[in-house]
Amino acid sequence: MLMRILRKSLARRKSRIALAAVAVLMGAAVATALMTVSLDVTEKVSLEFRKYGANLMVVPRSDTIDVGFPGVQLGSVTEQRYINESELWKIKTIYWRNNVLGFTPFLYQVVEASDGNDTQDVVLAGTYFNKEVTILEPYAPQDATLFRTGIQEINPWWKVDGQWIGDPNDTRSAMVGTAVAEKLGVGIGDELTLTYRPLVGAEGNTTTHGATVVGIITTDGVEDNQVFVNLQVAQGLTSRPGKVHTVQVSALCTKCPVETFASEIEAKIPSVEGKTVKQLVNAEMSTLDMVTGLMLMVTLVALFASALGVMTTMTSSVIERRKEIGLMKAVGAERRKIVALFLSEAAIIGALGGAAGFAGGVVLAQVIGMSVFSTSIGLHALVLPAVLGLSIAVALLASLLPVRRATSIEPAIVLRGE
Amino acid sequence: MAGDIIEVERLRKLYEGGTRALDGVDLSIEEGSWTTIVGPSGSGKTTLLNIIGCLDSPSEGRVVIDDTEVGGLGQDELTRFRKDHIGLVFQQYHLVPYLTALENVMMAQYFHSIVDEEGAAAALERVGLGHRLDHLPSQLSGGEQQRVCIARALVNEPRILLADEPTGNLDQANGRNVLELIDALHREGHTIIMVTHNPEIAVMGDRTIEIVDGKVSNDTRRREHPHAQEAEAA
Repeated sequence: MLMRILRKSLARRKSRIALAAVAVLMGAAVATALMTVSLDVTEKVSLEFRKYGANLMVVPRSDTIDVGFPGVQLGSVTEQRYINESELWKIKTIYWRNNVLGFTPFLYQVVEASDGNDTQDVVLAGTYFNKEVTILEPYAPQDATLFRTGIQEINPWWKVDGQWIGDPNDTRSAMVGTAVAEKLGVGIGDELTLTYRPLVGAEGNTTTHGATVVGIITTDGVEDNQVFVNLQVAQGLTSRPGKVHTVQVSALCTKCPVETFASEIEAKIPSVEGKTVKQLVNAEMSTLDMVTGLMLMVTLVALFASALGVMTTMTSSVIERRKEIGLMKAVGAERRKIVALFLSEAAIIGALGGAAGFAGGVVLAQVIGMSVFSTSIGLHALVLPAVLGLSIAVALLASLLPVRRATSIEPAIVLRGE
Repeated sequence: MAGDIIEVERLRKLYEGGTRALDGVDLSIEEGSWTTIVGPSGSGKTTLLNIIGCLDSPSEGRVVIDDTEVGGLGQDELTRFRKDHIGLVFQQYHLVPYLTALENVMMAQYFHSIVDEEGAAAALERVGLGHRLDHLPSQLSGGEQQRVCIARALVNEPRILLADEPTGNLDQANGRNVLELIDALHREGHTIIMVTHNPEIAVMGDRTIEIVDGKVSNDTRRREHPHAQEAEAA
């Protein structure tokens, strides 16, 4: 019977109910957009975190000199351009050494790659594939003195067609990124000639190195445009023995912040600084924080407006229907049944507005995703129930005062014959 | 003689602002009787009916209905007591406009206990509206609406039926139909208290109480109500 009363009473006041539902719709749409964008973008950012196996990047320390003009700084004479390969073992001697899962150095250089027909400028990356590093001074006597590490340890999910370079002394093999392979038209087993030409005026001679492609790497990242060889090959080709540009460190620790690793490594190797990946994605995160903060405020305002809209509708509904309420009480409706009737009505308004608002919010989220983050926003199963729940809760809360008014109606007064 | 189903002692009702609607009313109503209450406008007769109908509370005095002192009951307790003991018939019918005749009656069942569509239809048949179950109030004549109102008052089988000017908005023919219906209910044993302005209708009751300025000014017993005697004899 309650459903029958509800259905007929709502059907009779369609336009008023629609107005209240639209009020809820506004709030629900903004709330949907907020939840969808923040859930999706946060997930994307954290996916980036996970994808980026190394969560710590060790780079040479670069001091700068302020020249008294905002935004303009000079590289200092003390600037370090390389990290010494001979110091890398120290990374495994910090307090949290057991949480260092792996590290791998990189020495980069733009070189010409040629398969005999085509020539292409590519980034040559010298690194460790599967290297045993000797820990010269272990942190504790019981610590192992050998540590096997390399690019495979850091990035085990890289898709490799062919095989990894397994031997750390292999100077004849190369792995190429899929984009390089495509541009040069090389496949596994093909020969590649790498030519390094120093800049005009710079020291060193033009050198070449021949290598066989043993594997093709797909990461969907910058690595697709690089050629990977053992570190000593890159060092030899570019005349930088014992030097590396960066070291990627994979640190796993749930109890300690990754910043701790960075500062510990800086203490062990004074000429470097550790940058956490968090810092690298900070800009993205702060944009997200700003947008979600702004949207949270807009959502709160919109939900407040929704609540006001529902409250106005419910109040006028109670005033319009005071005789009906008085009659219901006169024929035996206890307060809880009047409360149930009006709150059910509010919940229906909330659900209708919430569902429509969800649809609108999904569109709004796409607009925000494309215009602010330049990415489409995926839907989350969680958002629909959350928005429906929120809309219904707002509608119910906004109805409390009107319902209280309804329960205090005195039948004797409103049903008076005159 | 049947016992008293309603006893009212020293009943006073003061409204905010000092209006004295009832000023020391004492009366008792026998079970199965038909009592009419008359008096000029503003004399307090509707207030008396509302207090007996548990729609209003007394300021002073005692009201005992079916052995329950209702003066001290809270709002929800009064509602529960009312739905179990009292059926209300209004001058303006007060039907829910968007519910059909049948649904208006079922609504009273819903608020009372459980909905029984057949029982509701039977109540409407009893008042001669078996063919108008699915009509909205706006599709019914005044007399028919009043009969729906009576069916709604009866559907939960209360022992007491209170009617406030039940024919006040009806033409003569419809008014007569409604009074015949009330008379039939009286014969079935319901205790009926009816407020009316009309002296011709007032004399249909076993007893007429006249209220003037919130006091009983006249109490005329026309007959011992025969149906109660029959009931007692049985």
